[in-house]
Formats: sequence, C-alpha cells, structure tokens
Amino acid sequence: MSDTIINLTNVITILLLLVGAFFMLAGTIGFVRFPDFYSRMHATGKCDTLGEGLMLVGLIVYGGATFVSVKILFLIMFILLANPTSTHAIAKAAYDVGLEPWRKLDDRVEWMNTGDTGNTSNTGNTDDGGDDQDGGEER
Amino acid sequence: MAGALLFGTIGMVDVFLAMALLIVIASFVSLYRGIEGPGIFNRIIAVNVIGTKTIVLLVLIGFIYERPDFFDIALLYAILNFIMTIAATRY
Repeated sequence: MSDTIINLTNVITILLLLVGAFFMLAGTIGFVRFPDFYSRMHATGKCDTLGEGLMLVGLIVYGGATFVSVKILFLIMFILLANPTSTHAIAKAAYDVGLEPWRKLDDRVEWMNTGDTGNTSNTGNTDDGGDDQDGGEER
Repeated sequence: MAGALLFGTIGMVDVFLAMALLIVIASFVSLYRGIEGPGIFNRIIAVNVIGTKTIVLLVLIGFIYERPDFFDIALLYAILNFIMTIAATRY
C-alpha cells in the first residue's frame, strides 16, 4: 500500500501542484485578457509568484528531506525575492517612460484635460472621441 | 511508483507530466501576448513570465527523469531571468 499513489505525501503533493497550476493559469488568463499594461502586471506579478511557490512546495513535499529539497527551498526564496523586484522594476521603468494608466472614459478625459506628467499630446484637445481610441491602442 | 487501486496504473510521473503540459500550455498563451502585445514593456514582462514558468518546468523535468542536475539549471535560470529583467528595464 505504501507504493501506491494514494498516501498522504502524494495527496498533499497533487493538491499543492493543482492549486499552483490554477494560480498560474489564472495569471496567464489575466495577462492575456486585461486591458492595460499595469493591470497585466498586476495579474502576472502576484499569480506567478504564488503559483510557482506552491508548485515548488508541493515538489519539496514529494522529495522529502534531502539535499534536493534544500536546493528547491533556496530556489523558492530567491524567486520570492526576485520576482516582485523585477515586477517593480518593470513598472517603474514603464512609469518613467510615461505610459499612462488605463482609466474609465470620463475619468481619463478629465485627467488628460487637467494636464499631467504623462503623454501631453492630447491635453489641449477638447475632442473626446478619437483621442481616447488612439490612447487605448498604444499601450 | 506502482499502480494504484483507484487510479489504475497512474503514477506520480504521470501527474508531473500533466502539470508540465499545463505549464507549457500557459507558456504558449503568454507567448501570444509577447508576440502580439503592443509596446516593449508587454514583451519584457512576457519574457519574464515565460522564464518564471520555465523554472518550474525544469524542476518538474528533474523529478520526472530522476536527475538532480536540472535543479542547478533551474537555479541558474532563475538568476539569469532576474538579471535579464533588471538589465532590460535599465535601458
């Protein structure tokens, strides 16, 4: 009975792998479907870190207390440090370049007309229709 | 692993293969945003996401083929992915 698939270690491993794969797929769907760069980063930055951490914890449970598990533990710790850091670096680089956050239509027109440090090419325009479409395609 | 009572001849290797297949599918869906996505930043974050998925894929391959060498490759790949993202966002 101990070498069958149904024991406690394998069940915990399969559960953690499934939850991690669910988070990864949810992050991927959000990465494809969200309308803006920043919201795509919101989807991927957390879901990938959590899904990857859960899958690697499941593999640690499967591997047992060996040297390989210590190596995977270092991998998890490095990912938990590096992945939010790189996400923050990408977001800050995009904000410094001047990529505008996605707004709803009325808020975005008001935000453009008040003038801000973003792209100021559409600032003086009172025409609301076409400019928002152009702004929506660029990001 | 030998066959089970309920699952027939499904072992843990098959579970790992199914998870690897899910990760590959998710990587290809992310590759759509990397190709189609407007702007350079979507492509950078697509490369970052695919690299993150590849780390788990390498660890799964190491468990499937019973080779501990792949974990070193996964660790190195994580470091390279992080350095690549930081270097790409600096310039």
